[in-house]
Amino acid sequence: MSAVLEVFPGAQRAMFRRYHIGGCSSCGFQPTETLAQVCARNGNLDVAEVLSHIQTSHEQDAKIFISAIELAELRKQDATVRLLDVRSREEFEAVNIAGSQLMSQDVMRQVMGDGSNTRPLVIVDHKGKTALDAAAYFMGHGLQKVRVLGGGIDAWAQEVETTMRRYKLG
Amino acid sequence: MNEDLQKRIQAALANPQNMGELANADAIGTVGNSDCGEMLRMWVKFKQQDGKRVIDRATFQSFGCETAIAVASLATELIRGKTAEEALALKPEELAGELGPLPPMKIHCSQLVEGALRSALSPQAETCVKPTESSQSPATSTAPTLLDSFSKPKEGGVKIQFLD
Repeated sequence: MSAVLEVFPGAQRAMFRRYHIGGCSSCGFQPTETLAQVCARNGNLDVAEVLSHIQTSHEQDAKIFISAIELAELRKQDATVRLLDVRSREEFEAVNIAGSQLMSQDVMRQVMGDGSNTRPLVIVDHKGKTALDAAAYFMGHGLQKVRVLGGGIDAWAQEVETTMRRYKLG
Repeated sequence: MNEDLQKRIQAALANPQNMGELANADAIGTVGNSDCGEMLRMWVKFKQQDGKRVIDRATFQSFGCETAIAVASLATELIRGKTAEEALALKPEELAGELGPLPPMKIHCSQLVEGALRSALSPQAETCVKPTESSQSPATSTAPTLLDSFSKPKEGGVKIQFLD
């Protein structure tokens, strides 16, 4: 699987979204396992079909993104939009989008158990990379309206809230 | 997972029942390990009916996979009107209800629900969900999971340098 992930970085997200593989330790895989072995012990999935799904995963990832401008507009139209920030506490305390929540196990439980799988959820990270994993995780758990802030809070600081301080990780 | 089962799970997830905390619950049970992303909490409220103390309502919060949510949704409906003893007598495969038989890799999901129920109704019982051979995590050392990528603390701390 390590070779598969090297060629297709989005493979794990794609596999979890559709097949519930690779999300947590219960459905994880070993780096040394082959794709065929992982498919075999997950209900004899069709390897060719899984591979095809992985190959198109980057297209699926692209559809998850919402731009900073679009998000600002969405929040004006829909007050139920939930912003979940998956950065570190240090980064969150340095800068954050008003109304967003820092990811914690309690917050994750709230998201999973608030009785709705259609409430819009937007994942925020620093530059829009880590958030894709979080989005795939929630989508794999049945949440239907999950998006990722494209470019992360860095894009938000440049395009929407221009007084927000930008930063880099040292 | 076969397509039929996936469809049944999706159907259950499309309209999950009894999700969320139940105020004034008579019993609360928690099972699982939140570190690995699998935890399920169940609230149970009783009422008197025909001289028996039966379950009036049960709700759950899940920190587990979609199968666990689907099973918990069905199970909390199934145990309504049953006594604690009757509910405890249900086997994991019965709790899964109309989902039907679960594949080996998903059996732990119904065990999670059974464990939470047992924890709520029989708190003194052993509530740790022990993976069976067939449902055991396949890897002793798995590749980093999606959960790891965004929920594990950053090693060595975080140093922020503002750009202005």
